[in-house]
Amino acid sequence: MTANLLERSEPVTPRRSVLSKARSLKASRGRSGILLLMPAALVVGTLIAIPIIQAIYYSMTAWNGITATWVGPSNYLTLFRNPTFWRVLENNGLLLLAVPVAIFVPLVIAALINEKPFGWRVFRSLIFLPTAISWVVIGMVAVRVFANPGAIDNLLSLVGLGFLRSDFLANPGTAIVAVAATFVWSMVGTNTIIFLTGMATIDPTIYEGAAIDGAGRITSFIYLTLPLLKRYFQFSFVLTVITAFTALFSLIFIMTGGGPNYGTTTLEFFIYQQAFSQGAFGTGAMIGVVLFALLFGISVIQLRLLRGEH
Amino acid sequence: MSTVQTPMKPASPSRYLPRRKISQGAIFVFLAAITAVMLYPFYFMLKYSFMSSNQYLAKGGFSTASWSRLFAAIPAWREMENSALIAVGAIAIIVVASSMAGFSFAKIHFRFQGVVFLGIIGCMMIPVQSIIIPEYVNLAHVGLINTYLSAILVYGALGTPFATFLMTVYFRGLPDEVIEAGLCDGLGYGQVFFRIALAMARPAIVTVVVLQFIQIWDDLLVGLLFLQKPGNRTITVGLGVLSSGRVVSIPVLMAGALLSALPAIVVYLLFQRHLRAGLTLGVSK
Repeated sequence: MTANLLERSEPVTPRRSVLSKARSLKASRGRSGILLLMPAALVVGTLIAIPIIQAIYYSMTAWNGITATWVGPSNYLTLFRNPTFWRVLENNGLLLLAVPVAIFVPLVIAALINEKPFGWRVFRSLIFLPTAISWVVIGMVAVRVFANPGAIDNLLSLVGLGFLRSDFLANPGTAIVAVAATFVWSMVGTNTIIFLTGMATIDPTIYEGAAIDGAGRITSFIYLTLPLLKRYFQFSFVLTVITAFTALFSLIFIMTGGGPNYGTTTLEFFIYQQAFSQGAFGTGAMIGVVLFALLFGISVIQLRLLRGEH
Repeated sequence: MSTVQTPMKPASPSRYLPRRKISQGAIFVFLAAITAVMLYPFYFMLKYSFMSSNQYLAKGGFSTASWSRLFAAIPAWREMENSALIAVGAIAIIVVASSMAGFSFAKIHFRFQGVVFLGIIGCMMIPVQSIIIPEYVNLAHVGLINTYLSAILVYGALGTPFATFLMTVYFRGLPDEVIEAGLCDGLGYGQVFFRIALAMARPAIVTVVVLQFIQIWDDLLVGLLFLQKPGNRTITVGLGVLSSGRVVSIPVLMAGALLSALPAIVVYLLFQRHLRAGLTLGVSK
């Protein structure tokens, strides 16, 4: 396009020289474009792209970090026959159940902040603040909250459910719920900001029309606001699932160490355990590939849904 | 920032105003309760880090003993310095790589550009756990384990795809005329980038720096694997190791947690607008 513009703007020079000039400009443009890409391509290529290819190769070997013997795709069958793998996958499934909660609670909070009550900017800042602190710090506090005695215990006694007091992290059934609850708490800031940003893009005049038609605030929220937030729902869903599956390593490391009895081991934690505690590098790489495939699948389905409706 | 001017409303029914005030009050109370829940960890850390172990058990008192014990237990200042050094190194890589690549993707057109773009941006979807084992083995082969450089390189690589996406979106929003004017003045694309585009990209670069700083400062896994010597641990790793070790006093742990969280909190408070902008940049594009 630029080349055509140049051709027309210089009618005095002979046509051939303009063409060759345009061609050399195009070549120099390509060169600059590639040169500017070099650092990013180099860093991402050597430190992300090559390792993921290696991971796929090593996932089909028996590998202790030094010597790798080829096994082939049947390696995956061994993994799929391992009951511990299914136990771990079940934990990922349980975290997935927490995702709607991690989206719905922030949605309500965002809707209320969006009503601009007194001090709403301060609320927005403070509710988003925990996103700045690490999962390690969050986990260290969460351990005390769910311990016996702890904050949840005290809360239960307060509402007359004192008989439920227990050390929630010591029991596999409740430990995963404690991890999921901490995860939901951690997502509140991020998802609230996502929905607030979405609500800020909505033209306020559409509500006036609805009000004239007699729609109440809640009706117009459900029938006007929610559909307009579709893209923000999708973004928040993908982000929340990715966080649930790939960002909770430190939280699990601090809160439970994956226990008790694999009760809080998710795929990402299983990778670490297999490779760095048990020396099964091949199995670790294989679970890494499974995790990548899972996330890739979820993202592709999301994209399809998004494209399909346009 | 962007206060929406609502037009003056026509006189509303007199009954409406008090009801609205009540509901606004209810919303305020509800949001205050949520905020209290969100701030609970900060309260917990502040309260208990200023107690000695005995005061913690007795549920009362004030003491700075736990802070002294923290500095005796781990080289906390050294670990803070390590964190800062690694964050600065990795952010330098990310800013250089992503601003150059973003400019190239947004403003220069050449063959196979789309494929390369998808390749780099697609790496955003690869979870760190999926590559961490080959990465560890590769870096061990070249003798980089337990050096700052290993963590700097890994964090740099992990941050680059998203930063490149962010910079590309930002540069696409800049008018082409600015670039063309530079080219007409006889500058090459490289010079246009360094002299014109980079200066205009400052807000986007600040967003990248702030997002990455918090991410790297708060990370455990990479530091845990690549920095195993006590002397070169980051503060987050130091804290993680301390907390998973043999029984340590809770006030000491809370002092460490608070100390490690402070830099990220300060950065958050100064740059929260950039953080909010960066978070949702991907939605509408």
